[in-house]
Amino acid sequence: MKKLIFKSALYFFLILIGLEILVRIFHLGKDTPTRFLDEHKVEKWVPNQNGFSVTGNRRQNFSEYKINNSGYNSYREFNPTNNKVEIALVGDSFIEGFHQNYYNSIGKKVENAIPTIEVYEYGYAGYDFADQLHLVQSYKNQFNLIDHVILGIKFSNDLTRGEYKVVTGRLNLESPLNRLLKKSKLLVYCKSIGILDPPQKLIYRVKSMLRPAQKVKQLSDEEAERLKEEKDKVYLANFESLVTTYGYDKKRFTLLLDSRITSPMFLSYLKENGFSYIDFSNSFEKTDRSTTLIYDRHWNNHGRELVAKVIIDYLKQIDVTK
Amino acid sequence: MLFNSIDFFIFLPIVFALYWFLFYKKLKIQNVFLLSASYIFYGLWDWRFLFLILASTVVDFFVGQVIYSHNSNRKRKSWLWVSVLFNVGLLGFFKYYNFFVDSWVDFVSILGYELKSTWTLQIILPVGISFYTFQTMSYSLDIYYKRLTPTKDFISFATFVSFFPQLVAGPIERASNLLSQITTKRAFNYTQCTEGLKLILWGLFKKVVIADSIAPIVDDIFANYADYPASTLILGVSLFSFQVYGDFSGYSDIAIGTAKLFGIELMSNFKFPIFSRNVAEYWQRWHVSLSTWFRHYVYIPLGGSRVSKLKSVRNIIIIFLVSGFWHGANWTFIAWGAFHALLYIPVFLMGRNRIYMGNVVAENRWFPSLIEIGQIILTFSLVTFSRVFFRSASITDAFGFLNQIWTNFSFETYHHPLGYRMIDYFILLIIFVLYEFRIRRDERSPFKFKSKIVRFVAYTLVILGMLLFFDDNIDRSFIYFQF
Repeated sequence: MKKLIFKSALYFFLILIGLEILVRIFHLGKDTPTRFLDEHKVEKWVPNQNGFSVTGNRRQNFSEYKINNSGYNSYREFNPTNNKVEIALVGDSFIEGFHQNYYNSIGKKVENAIPTIEVYEYGYAGYDFADQLHLVQSYKNQFNLIDHVILGIKFSNDLTRGEYKVVTGRLNLESPLNRLLKKSKLLVYCKSIGILDPPQKLIYRVKSMLRPAQKVKQLSDEEAERLKEEKDKVYLANFESLVTTYGYDKKRFTLLLDSRITSPMFLSYLKENGFSYIDFSNSFEKTDRSTTLIYDRHWNNHGRELVAKVIIDYLKQIDVTK
Repeated sequence: MLFNSIDFFIFLPIVFALYWFLFYKKLKIQNVFLLSASYIFYGLWDWRFLFLILASTVVDFFVGQVIYSHNSNRKRKSWLWVSVLFNVGLLGFFKYYNFFVDSWVDFVSILGYELKSTWTLQIILPVGISFYTFQTMSYSLDIYYKRLTPTKDFISFATFVSFFPQLVAGPIERASNLLSQITTKRAFNYTQCTEGLKLILWGLFKKVVIADSIAPIVDDIFANYADYPASTLILGVSLFSFQVYGDFSGYSDIAIGTAKLFGIELMSNFKFPIFSRNVAEYWQRWHVSLSTWFRHYVYIPLGGSRVSKLKSVRNIIIIFLVSGFWHGANWTFIAWGAFHALLYIPVFLMGRNRIYMGNVVAENRWFPSLIEIGQIILTFSLVTFSRVFFRSASITDAFGFLNQIWTNFSFETYHHPLGYRMIDYFILLIIFVLYEFRIRRDERSPFKFKSKIVRFVAYTLVILGMLLFFDDNIDRSFIYFQF
């Protein structure tokens, strides 16, 4: 029995090393850049990092990223001046685009269509509307030089708070333990394909078994509708609070949204109060091809092309180059 | 509890450690512990159905004693019928009741009468019922045929019926093999344990990498067969052949490997059926424990092949129809069994049904001959064709599937329903078939390499394969659990 335990442990250890080597050779695990909080308390990536983002098993999606001097994933540096025409795209991971080659981003597609402009992509995974407006306010001088700012907004996710605060949860991902764990590409890969989910689910199952069962209150349709309306009102109030606190230039700022998942109340509010927005829902509805990646809900190249197209049309419509 | 679940990977080491460290001293304690572990294993799925196992155990335990105590053939036979009727009754109610009711309603409607099917019941099929009822019946049958002396140890017998590695999907063991091991004290054996671990690893590979990764493709093609051309449908049913093989033989390997960890040897259930040179050889290599069961307890008592040719043919038809029906309460399985009978009969009449017994393709050679390759491809194609019936939801769907192949005989590139690269699966299957061919001489030693380094590389690659093809989103249950 001792021999079995010893040899099993030895094989287990050696196989782990073997797998770690193979995962590195085939680059199955994703690289994650390091994040930090700058002097304005804006959370971003540490400048000048390179790596590869991988999603799915067997590298279903493999793309290079490049963090520029400003701390965002882009092939270009952000140097706005009065002489050029610049567009800023501010948003979350959909704008950040780790799931695409940085030379094939939404911004680059817009630049290809309108070669006289430069598009700066201020995308960072998890940025909500508070993060975005806080960024714009913190780098006011830079953003004042930018001709037009497009802010990506998902109504149900991005308006849950009415003021900016540092999100410590995200920064905790840079804890020494997490950084150490991230060094194992095998672990990163296993986590990304969900192989570590069953043990986590088991822990939740055990916890819920030990905890006394709580009765789940079934809501009537009217009650559910009432709660949804209340929530929408809170989100709308958060929006108002954020634009008041951090400033919002209605002439230069435009929201980018999907009206299919946006509250009609919020859309009416935007129209009534002169907030312009780009709605990409139509082009997504019309297409019969998939707009998202395999194993990942982010936009694939087709999805990015559709979004870029509506942005291009909008920029042409407002004649941004003049 | 599934073999490929996290629950099992916690359960197994705990049971293993307790078995060899705490409960190893006395046979009785070993068996009480194994029985408890088996009941926990099954009870975690649905504890209510433990009573069925217990009932089947009690009935056959006492029936066995009574049959043995009587000298009169008439009385022995009567008591045998008690066992058969009880077990077949359990199966009949839980597995076939609704099928019979629906079939009767359909039959009456063909005659022009309308009957409302108000007798159908919402019945849950207890997992493994087809397997353990056959196992307990074999005990009574063996005593009846005077091949076995009944045990007086109820705990041992209950452990034999419910031994958790093979409780839910076999191999269906005969008491002469399994019970005799359970009534003997097991001692720890290093070699047996390592062999067991290797089989578990290989079984997991077959299940996770081969069966589970192919499943979404097969599901998609069979669910939408009317929208696809013949090329896609042929691809779908061919992949199903690999899926069902990976699934069931993977399960069997894990079962046999797990049993080895507890010092028990189960019979082999799969002997590389994909390399069969005719249908008869296929049935000597596919689901061996079930084929053996039917041969011993149905085919031979009917006269087997020692009667006239006509009667032998009748026996073959009976065996395949019953075997088809055993798989499920659906006409598709009966059609599948009938088709196999049609394939088997010509081989039998030509006297070629036993020519490949005891040898494997390219026995003493590196490569098979061209004739052998042709035979293998033909057998695989015929067996795969039969699987249209096995996999289809209804007999109408099965004929619809075949009709679609016939009427839409064209080629079109197939795209994975989840958008994955199809080439990955083709490469995977080629490597798998080549590796299976490499190890074809011994189904119980999937990693038979002299060099330790080669063995280590093989383990690592097999686990890497699992990491590459693992998909958290798909249903990971075993196909044969539904039987």
